[in-house]
Amino acid sequence: MIVAERLRKTFPGRGKDKTPVIAVDDVGFTAHDGQITGLLGPNGAGKTTTLRMLYTLMTPESGRVLVDGIDAAVDPNAVRRSLGVLPDARGVYKRLTARENIDYFGELHGMSSAAIVERTARLAKALQMEDFLDRATEGFSQGQRTKTAIARALIHDPRNVILDEPTNGLDVMTTRGLRGFLKELREEGRCVIFSSHIMQEVAALCDRIVIVAQGRVVAQGTPDELREQAHESNLEDAFVKLIGSEEGLHA
Amino acid sequence: MSQTGYFRAIFTVMRKELRDFARDRRTFLLTLLTAPLLYPLLFLGMNKLTNLRAETQLEKDLSIPVVGIARAPNLVAFLASRGINATEAPADYEALIRSQREDLALVIDENFAADWQAGKPAKVEIVADTTRRTGDVQIARVRNVLTAYGQSVGALRLLARGVNPMVAAPVNVGTRDLATAEAKRGIFLSVVLPLVLMLFAFIGGSHLAMDTTAGERERQSLEPLLATPAARGALVSGKMLAAVLLGLASMLLILVSFKVSASIGGGAARSLDVSFAAMGKLLVILLPLVLIGTALLTCLSASAKSMKEAQSHMVWLMLLPMLPGYALMAYPLKDTQLWQYAVPFLSQNQMLVKVTRGEMPSATQWAVYLGASVLLAVLLWAVAVWRYRQERLAISG
Repeated sequence: MIVAERLRKTFPGRGKDKTPVIAVDDVGFTAHDGQITGLLGPNGAGKTTTLRMLYTLMTPESGRVLVDGIDAAVDPNAVRRSLGVLPDARGVYKRLTARENIDYFGELHGMSSAAIVERTARLAKALQMEDFLDRATEGFSQGQRTKTAIARALIHDPRNVILDEPTNGLDVMTTRGLRGFLKELREEGRCVIFSSHIMQEVAALCDRIVIVAQGRVVAQGTPDELREQAHESNLEDAFVKLIGSEEGLHA
Repeated sequence: MSQTGYFRAIFTVMRKELRDFARDRRTFLLTLLTAPLLYPLLFLGMNKLTNLRAETQLEKDLSIPVVGIARAPNLVAFLASRGINATEAPADYEALIRSQREDLALVIDENFAADWQAGKPAKVEIVADTTRRTGDVQIARVRNVLTAYGQSVGALRLLARGVNPMVAAPVNVGTRDLATAEAKRGIFLSVVLPLVLMLFAFIGGSHLAMDTTAGERERQSLEPLLATPAARGALVSGKMLAAVLLGLASMLLILVSFKVSASIGGGAARSLDVSFAAMGKLLVILLPLVLIGTALLTCLSASAKSMKEAQSHMVWLMLLPMLPGYALMAYPLKDTQLWQYAVPFLSQNQMLVKVTRGEMPSATQWAVYLGASVLLAVLLWAVAVWRYRQERLAISG
């Protein structure tokens, strides 16, 4: 379970104008185990910064993050161990094979090589990446790279999974496969958070949706609750109404 | 994180970085082999050139234009007996010297014969451009022959007057020409050898150090790495350890090629101490420099926004090891004062020169040297670790 409480993060301004940039103003939500929580919002709403605070890459200016009851500011290492993270930056090591990329992260998590082999085999099957597992990642397609990055993020069998725009740049078939994989994670009782700016994707997958705009949570709840809140029968219309503009919807 | 976990992470990162780097065959081979292959060429080439210059300019017959060749037939004959052939100078001999087509010319004064007969000093001028080093050896040679001629005639004159010529030579001054191989060896040893060793020790592992920090950030794989529970200090230490090992491997290859080229090269090369003990000492001297270079590069690359920015540091980094060499040329220091062994680069220079000359630095010099350089390396390492703990580092692009 991941709890975000009133997170706020600003960055120092650049250039002549020194006013700080408010990336995340006030974001709070709870993501439960056995559920998929979608962070939905237009580009630049603060989704990536919010996620970075969740996986301890950034420290929030105020507010706190609790992962399975552990405060990320108090024991960031314990939090990192219980998280599987697919960041916005998902570069793989080009000169290593997909398997070597995954091994590296397994070793950094302190896993034994037997455990790594066993877990890699399961992930490779679930993500349908067996046919390119032992190829150097140079020349991989976007989908193959993303799968490699997801596999290495989940090598240590984390209870909580955070994915930043996992379907970015993927074709329809790969996206469908990935959705199936996320549902499997949910069935296994994990807590899954993913961010997206694509309405349909969030609607198709999420148990709970957190809508973020301009660094604030403007609405959250199940898809039904959101429709009700906006008095719209269509989720997309509800979304537009809730964020108050059509900005970013077509991005 | 536990102690064993920390070291395990260091070795995991080191193994991965070395494997990743070794897969990039061309860069890997260039990094490892450039210096060991370049070194014998430089070494033997300079040796050869030095010998060539000494041979051609000292022993070969020299032909110089002489103005007024007919005014002093005896002098011309004396010059010829010492391998210097006089030819009648063209009218534009000064222009020829300025344009470097002739190195020097001799002008025999119009009144040479008259002064000679009168027993007055007869004037002979050497015309040369002293800012051109190519003429140095010839000028010295001609001057020596002229002096010898003057002395022998003077002695004959004294004898003719019944005076022992020794009376007129109270001091016997000897000069040796600087173009000999023995003298060049000193410069070669004190400038070129330490420079090559220091340069490659300092920035030999540079590509790996930059690629694993600035490069990793640019390729967007740093953020996932920093999201793992591995300690930041362990990550950066592992990367630095990989670069240090690579630097050390390249040092070992350089020393092997140093030994091989010294044993096949003649002249100056023969005087170098290439025993295994000396090699070991060189390695101990260079190791702290490898550490300093790696740590400095890691700090710089971690602060750089891109690989390009990191690489642009290379220019001044390459100049650093050269500075003490040039400073010492301009202002030679005796290597006895202890402070010199605490100054980076100067200390390496002094230690390397000592060892290659076959001298042993004293225990205090060793202690000051190793203490100061290891301290600097540890400081830079701490800065690099601190950089890796910063939030800003993780965000790529």
